[in-house]
Amino acid sequence: MSSNNFNSDIIEATTKGVLEWSADRISNLVKSFKERKLAFIKEPKTIEIVREQYNSGESKFYQIYIKNKQLLLLVRIGLALRRLEKEDEKRQNLRDKLFNKYKIEGLHIAELVENGVLSRYVGILIEKLISIEDLEKEIENFLTNIEKHTLFIQWTSKKIEIIKKATIKINSNSPHIFVISGVKSAGNILKECVDDLRYIFKEYEMERITGEKEILFFIRKMPEKY
Amino acid sequence: MDIVSLKEVSKESKILLLKELGYQSDGEFVLSNAGQKVIDKYVEIPVKLNNMAILPGSTVILDDNELSITSYIEEYGDVFQ
Repeated sequence: MSSNNFNSDIIEATTKGVLEWSADRISNLVKSFKERKLAFIKEPKTIEIVREQYNSGESKFYQIYIKNKQLLLLVRIGLALRRLEKEDEKRQNLRDKLFNKYKIEGLHIAELVENGVLSRYVGILIEKLISIEDLEKEIENFLTNIEKHTLFIQWTSKKIEIIKKATIKINSNSPHIFVISGVKSAGNILKECVDDLRYIFKEYEMERITGEKEILFFIRKMPEKY
Repeated sequence: MDIVSLKEVSKESKILLLKELGYQSDGEFVLSNAGQKVIDKYVEIPVKLNNMAILPGSTVILDDNELSITSYIEEYGDVFQ
């Protein structure tokens, strides 16, 4: 089937409201489908968005350093979420499906990519001039143990709970880099905690991305010599 | 590869298309020839007639969403180029 035929179908559908296909037309479409010349989907834009993210430079970069296929898939879904930033319904639908299939950990991994946290995390690792092998290990360890290395603030979170949870996670896991992230109203709640968190985590340097998204990176300092 | 939009296609035409491919529909869900609901293998939900994708690779019938399509590309490669 040519694109021109497809376009004429769209024009016909727009004029008539609903597109009817004849039996002959369907046979021809199926023939082309079986020859792998075409595919059917409700919204071709879904394929466009997925391909755009799949073939992006960021996706190709992560493909080099993330060997675990499921983690890489979640990272790519995070890129798609970012692309859907202004399409609330589609974005929420994708988040729901992600949560149902990959639970909260999968959703959090995708959100870290969506919010640009993973790219900054990798940037911090690269600034530390670690080897390629270590970079791979660090990224996979970060994503695999996402709940140990991050705290996602909800709009319902209370300041005291945030400080308590962050303290427990950092003391229990001693991560090299710890990330606290809040978006929109959750970001505003996190903003109120910044001074306290900076004071509590003296062994860490704090890097802050602020705006509509509030993201705090706590990077462990080199221990001082005695 | 051409991508055919099903958005404006009538329910009857979509059912005929499925029939030609060896499937059927109860008007809401896509059903196998044996009458079982077709499940999107990536997100594990029944595929609805009004939100389906039919993709090459034998015949892969999925729900139209970014997670299923990304998973499909991971398995079959970028066949859409």
